[in-house]
Amino acid sequence: MSDVSKMSFEDAMGELEKLVGQLESGNVPLEESIKLYERGDALKKHCEKKLAEAEEKVAQITKGADGEATGATPVNYD
Amino acid sequence: MPRVAGMTTAFLTHPSAFTHVNPEGHAECVARLEALYAATSDLDLLRVEAPIADDTPILRAHPQSYIDNLAMQLPEAGIVALDPDTYLSSGSLNAARCGVGGIVKAVDMVLDGEAGNAFVAMRPPGHHAERETSMGFCLFGNVAIAALHALEARCLSRVAIVDFDVHHGNGTQDILWNEDRIRFFSSHGMPLYPGSGSENERGAHGQIVNMPLPPESTGALYREKLERVILPVLDEFRPELLLISAGFDAHIADPLAYLNWQDEDFEYATRRLCDAAQKHCDGRVVSALEGGYNLSTLGALARTHIGILQEFSA
Repeated sequence: MSDVSKMSFEDAMGELEKLVGQLESGNVPLEESIKLYERGDALKKHCEKKLAEAEEKVAQITKGADGEATGATPVNYD
Repeated sequence: MPRVAGMTTAFLTHPSAFTHVNPEGHAECVARLEALYAATSDLDLLRVEAPIADDTPILRAHPQSYIDNLAMQLPEAGIVALDPDTYLSSGSLNAARCGVGGIVKAVDMVLDGEAGNAFVAMRPPGHHAERETSMGFCLFGNVAIAALHALEARCLSRVAIVDFDVHHGNGTQDILWNEDRIRFFSSHGMPLYPGSGSENERGAHGQIVNMPLPPESTGALYREKLERVILPVLDEFRPELLLISAGFDAHIADPLAYLNWQDEDFEYATRRLCDAAQKHCDGRVVSALEGGYNLSTLGALARTHIGILQEFSA
């Protein structure tokens, strides 16, 4: 199982969607379902962090120090 | 069947519950019942040995082929896996039959005025066992069987079941899907095992009420559902008997779930359900142990639950 903190947004989101599908399908054993939820929760938080970071970078581009768009800082979603 | 003042709470159990053995490290372990026994040993209860059930009450919920299949797979020694959660040891079928016998006897005692209310302390639990499928640690649908016994053998017309175990009572729902003489309420975390229990699962007659609860939610949300959904429906339905699937795994310290209920939330739920039973059916409540896997908290939670039953039966 990959280290969540090193995952890209896309990979984390993909795994999260898969986990939610598994939990909803009822094919996960009772004792395993909480572990899956905990993994999903970590993935969700990681995705939220990545999104917040991306939003911050977008904000930097669009506003810049003088309020003008600079385009100097490329957005890296990874 | 008026309730006689000064009656007590019956506590039904059987040593066979200790002979149902899951693999080492399994959450549904013998130590759960040991913890419950230790925490309740000093309570002044009417202690009754659960009788072993024959096929008659079980057949109201499960086909003969299902019972036969369990018997066929029962090992003489060791442990057999029915699925990744559910196991059979040599004593499992006997324990499961005593679980059924215990809850059926509890219903009879309460209806016959031999006890004001009752708690059944047996394992394996029952609310995940579907009509034709054992699952989620469960072999027979004990509470559903008790409801059908009350309807068929004791000729009641209205039985309510409240399941506050943190996992959906899919087995009870499956067995009672077409039964319009019941009202079944299940509150449970979602998403979580077994994945079912959405609000749009309402039974063939709209008689089932599922209340999925989001991860990390507190007992405040359950209290709101209890006051705004469960109790009003009970007031309209006027049950003649109230059954409780008493799982204690919505507690914040439970290792198998993620809800954040505190001790007081279980106390509140028990008290309000007993209030409703007092109002509608002379306090006739039969509660049965389902889940609850934190060995440090299970005993105290069950003790409080049973203590409130005692208050209402006095």
